[in-house]
Amino acid sequence: MSKYFIPVLFLIIIATSLIKKVKPYDAFISGAKSAIPFAVNLFPYLACIFILTELFEVSGLSNYLTKILSPIFNFLGIPKELTKLVLIKPFSGSGALAVLSDVYEAYGVDSYLSRCASAIYGSSETVFYVASVYFANAKTKKLFKPIIISLIASLCSSIMACLICKIL
Amino acid sequence: MNFIFALLFIISTVMLLFFNPEGVLTAMLIGGEKALTLTLKLVVIYAVWMGVFKLVETSGLAEKFAKLLKPFNKLLFGNLTEKENEYVSLNISANALGMSGATTPTGISTILEFEKRPNTEYHIIMFFVINATTIQLIPTSVIGLRSAMNSNSPADIILPTIIATLTSAVIGILLVKIFVRRK
Repeated sequence: MSKYFIPVLFLIIIATSLIKKVKPYDAFISGAKSAIPFAVNLFPYLACIFILTELFEVSGLSNYLTKILSPIFNFLGIPKELTKLVLIKPFSGSGALAVLSDVYEAYGVDSYLSRCASAIYGSSETVFYVASVYFANAKTKKLFKPIIISLIASLCSSIMACLICKIL
Repeated sequence: MNFIFALLFIISTVMLLFFNPEGVLTAMLIGGEKALTLTLKLVVIYAVWMGVFKLVETSGLAEKFAKLLKPFNKLLFGNLTEKENEYVSLNISANALGMSGATTPTGISTILEFEKRPNTEYHIIMFFVINATTIQLIPTSVIGLRSAMNSNSPADIILPTIIATLTSAVIGILLVKIFVRRK
C-alpha cells in the first residue's frame, strides 16, 4: 500500500499545478535550484557533527559511557545490551543502524532484545544531527534547552519501548 | 552547542592522547569525509524535494493543506501567520509520513520564518522538539532490515514503535509547555 503513496502524491501535485495554470517545469527548476547552496551551507555543520561522532567512537568514550550508564539504564528498564544503541542514536543514524544489526546478529532477530532495539531505534531521533542541520542558517544559537528536552523525551521513549515489548 | 562541542572534543581527544595519538586527525578526516558523502547525497535529495515543494506551494495545495492542520498547529503554537502555518503543516506531515528527505528543507524554512517574529524562543523550541522526537508512523528502515534478516514477523514492531514515539512526542511537548515561557 505505502509504495503507491509517493508516486500518487506526486501525480496529484503535478495535476493540480496544471489545473491552476502554474508552469510545472519552471516551478520545479526554481525549487531545485536552491538545493545546491542549501546543501553546501549545511556542509560545515555536518562535518562538525560527523567529526565529533567519529572521535566519540574511536576514543572509546562511547564504550566507556556505555559501561558507566548501563546500571542506570538497567534500573530504568533498558537492558544493558542496548545501552550503546541508546547512546549512539542521538549522534548518528547510520551508527545506530550498525549497532542495531549487531544486536540482531547476536541475539536473533525475533528475540526480546532485538524487538526492543527495533522499537528504540525507530522511536528516537538523531537529536544532535537535527539540531546542527536545522539551525545551520538560523540566527538562534541557544540550543541547550531544546537539545536537553529532546534527549529526555528520547530516553523516555526508549524506556517505554522496552516496557511495551515486554507486554506485547 | 559550543559547550557540548568543546566537552566531547576535549574528553575524546584526551582519551586518544593516551593510547592512540595519531588517531585524532585520522578520525577527524574520516568524519569530514563522511559529511561530504552525505552532503552530495543531500544535494540530490533536496533538489527533488525542493522542486516538488515549489510546485506544492505555487499550485495552492500547501494552502489547502495548511487549513486542514490549522487547529492542530494552534494547539501547539498558538496563533501563527499564514506562511508559518503553511510551513509547519508541510513539515509535520512530512515527518508523520516518514519522508525524511522532505523534513529538513521544510524544517529550515519554518525556523527562518519564525525568526521574523520578535519573541520567537517558544515557537522555535517547540518546533525543534517536535522534529527531534519524530512523530513517525511507519519505521520503514527497521522493517526492511528485519525482513532482510529473515524475521518471522518483521512488521510486529510497528505498534511498540508508534507507542514509544508518541510517548516521546507527548513528553517533549509537555516539557516545552512547562519550561519555556511563551511571550
